Amino acid sequence: MTTEIVRTKELHKVYDQNGPRPYEALKGITFSVEQGEFVGIMGASGSGKTTLLNIMATLDQPTSGSVEIDGQDVTHLTANQMSDFRSEKLGFIFQDFNLLETLTARENIALPLSLQNKKPNQIKQAVDAAATKLGIAELLSQYPTQLSGGQKQRVAAARALVANPSIIFGDEPTGALDSTNARELLDTLTDINQQGVSILLVTHDPFSASFCKRILFIKDGRIGDEIDANGKSRNAFYQEILEKLGTFEQ
Amino acid sequence: MLFKISIAGVKSRWKDYVVLFSGMIITTAIFYMFEAISTNNKFTTSSPAGQNAKFVFIFGSILLAIITLVYVFYANNFLMSMRKHDYGLFMMLGAKSRVISKLIILETLVIGIMSTLIGIVVGIGFTQGLSSLLSHEIHVPLTNFSAFYLPAVWVTIILFFVLFVIAGLMNARTFMKTSALKLLRSNQQSDWQDPKKRTLIGQAILGLGLLAGGYYAMYDINQLKLLAIGIGLVTIVLGTYFVFNSFFVMILEMVQSSKSSMAGLNNFTIAQLKFRIRDYTKILSVVSLLFALALGAITVGIGFQRMVPMIANGNSAYAVGLTNPTRQMKSLVGDLDVSSQVTYQQKIDPAAKTVYYRASQLQQRPMKYAYFTNRSQLKSKVGTASLSQLKNPSSEAYDSLVNLQAPASRTFKIKLVSDTSFDQLHAKQNTLLLVRVKDMDAASNTLTKLTKLQSRQYGQSMTEMPGGGAFSTYQLLKGVFGSFEFMGIFLGIAFLAMLASCLMFKILSGAASDKVRFEMLNKIGARKSVLTHSILLQILGLFLLPAVLGIVDVAFGLQMFVKSHLLQGAYQTFGWSAVGFSLLYLIYYGITVLVYSKIVVPKTKVEK
Ligand SMILES: Nc1ncnc2c1ncn2[C@@H]1O[C@H](COP(=O)(O)OP(=O)(O)O)[C@@H](O)[C@H]1O
Ligand SMILES: [Mg+2]
Repeated sequence: MTTEIVRTKELHKVYDQNGPRPYEALKGITFSVEQGEFVGIMGASGSGKTTLLNIMATLDQPTSGSVEIDGQDVTHLTANQMSDFRSEKLGFIFQDFNLLETLTARENIALPLSLQNKKPNQIKQAVDAAATKLGIAELLSQYPTQLSGGQKQRVAAARALVANPSIIFGDEPTGALDSTNARELLDTLTDINQQGVSILLVTHDPFSASFCKRILFIKDGRIGDEIDANGKSRNAFYQEILEKLGTFEQ
Repeated sequence: MLFKISIAGVKSRWKDYVVLFSGMIITTAIFYMFEAISTNNKFTTSSPAGQNAKFVFIFGSILLAIITLVYVFYANNFLMSMRKHDYGLFMMLGAKSRVISKLIILETLVIGIMSTLIGIVVGIGFTQGLSSLLSHEIHVPLTNFSAFYLPAVWVTIILFFVLFVIAGLMNARTFMKTSALKLLRSNQQSDWQDPKKRTLIGQAILGLGLLAGGYYAMYDINQLKLLAIGIGLVTIVLGTYFVFNSFFVMILEMVQSSKSSMAGLNNFTIAQLKFRIRDYTKILSVVSLLFALALGAITVGIGFQRMVPMIANGNSAYAVGLTNPTRQMKSLVGDLDVSSQVTYQQKIDPAAKTVYYRASQLQQRPMKYAYFTNRSQLKSKVGTASLSQLKNPSSEAYDSLVNLQAPASRTFKIKLVSDTSFDQLHAKQNTLLLVRVKDMDAASNTLTKLTKLQSRQYGQSMTEMPGGGAFSTYQLLKGVFGSFEFMGIFLGIAFLAMLASCLMFKILSGAASDKVRFEMLNKIGARKSVLTHSILLQILGLFLLPAVLGIVDVAFGLQMFVKSHLLQGAYQTFGWSAVGFSLLYLIYYGITVLVYSKIVVPKTKVEK
């Protein structure tokens, strides 16, 4: 039996609802993500990807419809509840790693746990565990400037993982990276996913998308299509995505 | 096209521009106010306070111009930090960098000219307010003084125009040197590395040592004389720099290694503060030193002001002595808050150069006289003059009475005689009215009117101190110290306002790049209250540390004045001015926190 980690129902989002020019960015989005999946959401710029992700990640609220994460409806939380929910249940992969340069790798990874006011030795154990998973246990006392791009990426990934989130979100995480760094990040994410963590990426880049196991295409605020890797090689899947985009964008 | 985008860019951040603008306006206003007073020749030569002020004012003008320069530099940096993103966008859109450079210079100049003009108008208003404040509160009489003074307007316009041209050129230059992409993604990644323990400890000890040396030099001013000031300047400037660069960082590292640093955002807060202090070492040192200068100036200024009535009251128990007061004078005395008054009859024999009084009157209603119990601390007492004292020309009581005579008979002898001898004297009988007031500062305006009437009555010029008594001393000292007081208080407040806004703009300039960090923290689940708390602490650290060091500097620096007996009750004045000063400073802290939070704290989009 698989369990659903994310389930959205008829999500609508209207920007500027009471303004002069209301704009409907999401027009009824329904889908779900199973435990352990690696899902990509693709779409052209302006299609509503960020809007959708922000609503799922409790950074924004929908105009109507609902989002359940790990069985909990997150659309009616207060601001503080949203913050707490994020620190306990969600992980984020950012563009540019977004590590704090003034903190060591260990302190960076510990941040989500510190925010939950966990005990120091609990924090230490969890950080060590996440660092070991990503093979950066030796680097914990270094500052970000002392690390290579790939190492920084793994520190950032460890930070996303450390609080044992239900799911990890990323909004165009490779958007600002050169191809080597992008590749390394995607490999790291694949690694994490193979250890059983669910991941949802939003991207307009077919190469990044080809690392996912399932892809939802979004166009003008609606889900238009969906494809599944079904055990195909990454390269084959990449070709399929390109073909799909060719027809989908028409 | 670019111009339209430019306007739109300004509109979208108009609240930040309001802060920038008001800062500029206040700076211009302060500068104008100072110039209006110092370049106003009529004022500086005709009033007794003015003559002394002249040289002090030139010195103050130069100091003020220097800090204004520093101020415009920081305000301008803030302006650039707000516009960077737009300029990058223009470049991406294909605008030539030459065109954008022009735009930058134009924008800077427009903002500069607008704030200068508004600033001058505000300055004229301030000057009007200040001049009445000066004559009412600190009793420095300002004659021939007008708030609008054309030469001051010109000086202000020219100085600020030059400053803004320089600033515009500098902006254009920094822009030319940065690529479009960097402008767009201006989240400067800092390359922070923890400083080495050994260097930190070495520098901390050096810094504290230098400060201690400087403080000792000022304490030992009687031995070192002028050398004390030289030594103090060098060691304190260097010491302050090292203390910021290492001592404070070391303390923060100690806090960081404690257990509680792992809770919430404590670690982030301390680390950011540590980083900022090292990044801002120079400006923090400057702020701390200026804070000390400004606080010192105010303390010394107010100290002089407090000393004047103390000296005056030690010189005579009575504010004025009025010989044959007219009705008008009597009614003015009626307006005063008098603590006691007494009238004696006198007869003058000009040939014998003697003034005669009735012994019986002085016995029934004894005269009061003041004497210093401790001259260096300006402590004085009021005693009651006995007849034997008044008969002894070398007693303080006798001296006091002599000084209270009308100017024409102030060099005469005084004799107490029996009622019969008094009645037999062939001379006009005068009355001498002695008035003792509760508060010299409060009575100052009425007493000035009284002395004016007196000099008309005696047919003498103002400079001859018609009233005798404590108020003459008071007026004399006000003339000498008035300009010092004024300079100290004015420059103190002006410096504080400007240095606090320099710090404010420096911090706000970094806000754009801090935004990314706060967005990240928001995403990983930091509550808004936690973010705000962290901001409050970070900025508090940046404001508090220089202030604390500045206060310590002044606390030791005042030793110079105490040891050389220049200033009395310095520490009490210091306490009060430090409190008032800190309150003003707190306002800047509050504004900085508000604006900074508005820029960096992500808005939570809860609609329901
Ligand atoms: N805060 C907002 N206010 C108004 N319109 C918005 C806002 N954010 C996004 N939009 C609009 O919603 C649409 C979808 O935006 P977004 O979700 O950012 O797309 P994507 O991430 O796929 O590029 C765009 O047309 C965008 O202009
Ligand atoms: Mg987007």
